[in-house]
Amino acid sequence: MTEGSRTVKLPLAERVLEANDEIAGVVRAELARRRVFAIDLIGAPGSGKTALLEATLRALTEGTAGSAAGRHRPAVLVGDLTTRRDADRLSRWCDRVVQISTGEGCHLEAGQVRGALEDVDMTGVDLLFIENVGNLICPVGFDLGQNVKVGLFSLTEGDDKAAKHPYLVTAADLILLNKVDLAPHLTFDRGLFEEDVRLLNPKVPMLGVSATTGEGIGEWLEWIEWGIARTQGGAVA
Amino acid sequence: MHEFSIAEALAAQVIKYGPAGARVRGVDMKVGPLRGLEPEAMAMSWQAVTIGTALEGAVLTIDQLPWTITCSVCGRSWESRVPFVSCECGNETPAPVGGDELDIVSLTIDEEDAP
Repeated sequence: MTEGSRTVKLPLAERVLEANDEIAGVVRAELARRRVFAIDLIGAPGSGKTALLEATLRALTEGTAGSAAGRHRPAVLVGDLTTRRDADRLSRWCDRVVQISTGEGCHLEAGQVRGALEDVDMTGVDLLFIENVGNLICPVGFDLGQNVKVGLFSLTEGDDKAAKHPYLVTAADLILLNKVDLAPHLTFDRGLFEEDVRLLNPKVPMLGVSATTGEGIGEWLEWIEWGIARTQGGAVA
Repeated sequence: MHEFSIAEALAAQVIKYGPAGARVRGVDMKVGPLRGLEPEAMAMSWQAVTIGTALEGAVLTIDQLPWTITCSVCGRSWESRVPFVSCECGNETPAPVGGDELDIVSLTIDEEDAP
């Protein structure tokens, strides 16, 4: 303390991430105006986020039990530290893929989503996938303006990952468990995994899928259809 | 390491909401257990973000809020630093509930005396 001054405590009650939240609000309003159902897909590196989206886009293109071919017009924003590999893989199935290079950033922020949306033709788009950077912790706390968060886990990561990542489990609107086709080769205790999820988020739906064999992809598409229908009806905030 | 992004956002908020020209001595924040914020990483990030700025030297104090554990068997409720714990009644799976607060609580500033 210097001469002629005194130290005082100034109470505040401000959110640290206010600036991000404000941009997310702008994105959310714009997506709502366009009636786009936006999914923030969060999962660890190697959990199969891109593989799941490949299988999903393929099913939407070719048609499955859950969805007629060409019925929806998806777009994808894909966050990646440095490479274009994910975007290249997804571009095989969708013309509207935008890469967001985060450099050393471990998560996407709302400003990056807002910027990327300017680079994609959103005309007629009713479904937006945002593939977050591979990370189970950092992305969860940053609102992107999405309608829902989907937490993607996989059998190869181990059955303790829900318990170790309570924020994602708590924040998720759907928990996907990928690579269920590998169950015979692994010691993954699905009952334990699901019990941990239930303790943290009693009502969240859980779905086992395999991006490789297509198991569960039909149910995943039905869930997406539900979300699109609600967004088209203006019911999803 | 989301602490660096959070430290950047925090510094911007302190500048935004602090009185213009005031010397900021300390920043108090509270963090809910869901955030998974590492205090050491946060302190390091805060130092890195503020060095060479008007906020250099401001001491960051982090109040880490606990989990609230509720046992559905005996009805007991208590605070815990970790989410998965057993209840003393023998129930091994009481439910953890935690918040995702990430707020500035107060600033400690040097205020010039009125002339």
